[in-house]
Amino acid sequence: MNLKWLEDWFEKIEPKGKWSWLGSTYEAFHTFAFTPKTVTKRGSHIRDAVDMKRSIIIVVIALIPALLFGMWNIGHQTAISTGADWHWFYMWWFGFLRMLPMIAVSYIVGLFIEFAFAQYRGHEVNEGFLATGLLIPMIVPVTTPLWQLALAVAFAVIIGKEVFGGSGMNFLNPALVARAFLFFAYPTHMSGDKVWIANDLWGSDAIAGATPMGQLATGTHLSASALDMLIGTIPGSTCETSVIAIALGAILLLMTGIASWRIMLSVFLGGGAMGLLFNAIGYNDYMQLPFYYHFLMGGFAFGAVFMATDPVTAAQTNTGKWIYGLLIGAFAVLLRVCNPAYPEGMMLSILFMNCMAPLIDHCVVAANIKRRERRALK
Amino acid sequence: MNHTIKIKKGLDIPLGGLPERTLIDVRCIERYAVKPPDVVGFTPRLLVAEGDMVAAGQPLVTDKHDPRLTLPSPVHGTVEAIVRGEKRKLMEVVVRKDLEDLKDPKNHKDLTPEAPVWWMIKERPFGTIANPDHKPKGIYVSLRDTNPLAPDLDFALKGREQEFEAGVKALEAIAEVHCVRAEGPHPAGNIGTIIASLDPINKGECVWTVNAQDVANIGRWYLTGEYRPERVISVGGPAAKTPHYYRVLCGACLKQLTDAQLMDNSYPSLTRTTNTTRIISGSPLNGTTVAADGFLGMYDQQLCFIEEGDHYDFMGWLMPGLKKYSFSKTFLSGVIGTLGNIGSLIPIHYNFNTNVHGSVRPFLFTGNFEQVFPFDIYPLQLIKACIVGDVELQEKLGIYEVEPEDFALCEFIDPSKTEIQTIIREALEVLRKEAIA
Repeated sequence: MNLKWLEDWFEKIEPKGKWSWLGSTYEAFHTFAFTPKTVTKRGSHIRDAVDMKRSIIIVVIALIPALLFGMWNIGHQTAISTGADWHWFYMWWFGFLRMLPMIAVSYIVGLFIEFAFAQYRGHEVNEGFLATGLLIPMIVPVTTPLWQLALAVAFAVIIGKEVFGGSGMNFLNPALVARAFLFFAYPTHMSGDKVWIANDLWGSDAIAGATPMGQLATGTHLSASALDMLIGTIPGSTCETSVIAIALGAILLLMTGIASWRIMLSVFLGGGAMGLLFNAIGYNDYMQLPFYYHFLMGGFAFGAVFMATDPVTAAQTNTGKWIYGLLIGAFAVLLRVCNPAYPEGMMLSILFMNCMAPLIDHCVVAANIKRRERRALK
Repeated sequence: MNHTIKIKKGLDIPLGGLPERTLIDVRCIERYAVKPPDVVGFTPRLLVAEGDMVAAGQPLVTDKHDPRLTLPSPVHGTVEAIVRGEKRKLMEVVVRKDLEDLKDPKNHKDLTPEAPVWWMIKERPFGTIANPDHKPKGIYVSLRDTNPLAPDLDFALKGREQEFEAGVKALEAIAEVHCVRAEGPHPAGNIGTIIASLDPINKGECVWTVNAQDVANIGRWYLTGEYRPERVISVGGPAAKTPHYYRVLCGACLKQLTDAQLMDNSYPSLTRTTNTTRIISGSPLNGTTVAADGFLGMYDQQLCFIEEGDHYDFMGWLMPGLKKYSFSKTFLSGVIGTLGNIGSLIPIHYNFNTNVHGSVRPFLFTGNFEQVFPFDIYPLQLIKACIVGDVELQEKLGIYEVEPEDFALCEFIDPSKTEIQTIIREALEVLRKEAIA
């Protein structure tokens, strides 16, 4: 494939003179089409083939199984509730048409702000939002109005990220900031029974249908089996229900080394330990729930695989990652069981540990510094 | 004292063009150069003029701050050229060798700063020539060079065992000498890794280091009084025609070697970089680019030929990447490599070029540096302390234990394409200047 003409075209349209302020936008599109021809000038003459775009795109690919399954499940839930007899592909198509505008709104609003900030600062546009922009519509209820979604994305990108200097400088996971914004600004649209199942293709009308977590929080009988929750044929946020689809993504993230296995494993360990502790106490029904149910319900698996492992907002030292993950898992289960006002503890638990991560790292690094000082005295 | 250590963390980059174990003795090279910019912290003052006759071992330049430190002529001959760069910075002093070797009859007995071989002893922290006023807590010699395509030092030193022993003896008069054989992937053989695993440098301390081949050179001078800085260098790389070993003198003109190695139509020059080969004196991880008729670096023992990678790569971030090497396994090559390279789908050695493979970004990913950095140091935290210039924090995090070359692999695998070695060098330079003042 000879693409010399495209290379030349890009070089020809490079903004110069009075248009040079458009440099960031040009660079974003140019490097999207072609990995630059920059050669090493100082330091190592050879470099690894991986770059930020490649790393982020792996995250996006890892999200695809959960995304495809989530689309099918949107249709599946509507079909069950309305009693319609739909072909499985129509269920998927229904969900696809519901998800497409949400994904489009998220990317358009987010990328517009990202480009504007990059342009204003004279920075290059960072790839981080390619993952964030897909994550946000995947963790909200299907009936979330698009204008709310747009507001949440704008809030997450500006307040969650850009005010701190952009990707790599933020301390809160932007996708969870968006969800937290919706959760606290529009609580009626984010929890309860009437948000999880879409009524028709276009409106934001919902059909009553409780998630397993909602049932547990209100003390009603859990209607879904563990197998249903594992496969994901239950009501919930758009793409977070299937633990199997999430596991496929997790395999890719771990195999490529993009996500930290320490964090992923320790979140499950922390959650499991807390679950077992509650089993031992066994004060009420929720506490007696088998500990592994916590992994299957709600956003636990999705949060552990895609949210807690965000390297920017997680602890950065290997020891710190263990502590960070264990506490996320433990707090998530603690919140679920002990605070019925917040049926889903995963989001708040991760956001809280995002805030604590720098402190954990500080302590871990301080131990290294201490060790060095002691050695010098000897 | 001899040690063997084992290192687990690290990476042997599968770079193509491994040199064959055949040694060619190049005796007819006519021009040699001393290159002061290769020596950290050395402010050169010229001692000779063009046309002067010099003997092998006679000082050509001296350090303005410490006149005892000199860089001697590697051969007996005539000063042919004094090459200056920007702001009249002294780049090279070129000596044309006379046909007959003039034996230096003097027989020094002690290894003093005035000895022509003194510059071969380096000091850590900072990587300068050993300061004769300092008392090192040890002298370290690595018996293995683990850099990509680096020479096998056992092969290079074959037949020089006696000289090596003598060199160790000469150095032992100053401080205890530790000859260390490190096992494991690169950077196991780096002197910094060795020191860190045996006895890390604390603030206010210093150690000296000598390249194993230079120990033999010191030994020869110690035994016979003859200054003859020999180097067996490995010549290789994906763009080299017939990779193998050469025996040359330090500072030798590379023209003969490069003529033999360059592929057709790939003759490089420093001004044009299209469709050419880059010639690197030293490791591909931290060496210096040299011209085809340039000179071997002062401390280098390898020469590497790599194709310039100044071409676009269509949607490089999306392609499967069977022929691209990445430590991260984000390319198909890495995944297949993990599975045991079924059906030889991927190369065993990769044709690296000099492309950066991406654009510069802030640090996003964490934990990857630790996998190739066998120090009890938090690499990302230290790099960040260097970027913000927090000297106190750098000291606390162990800046004195490292040199830029120790971060070479971090720089290689870094997905955000930061020039980490430059950051570390600049931070160390600030500290070094503060230490002098």
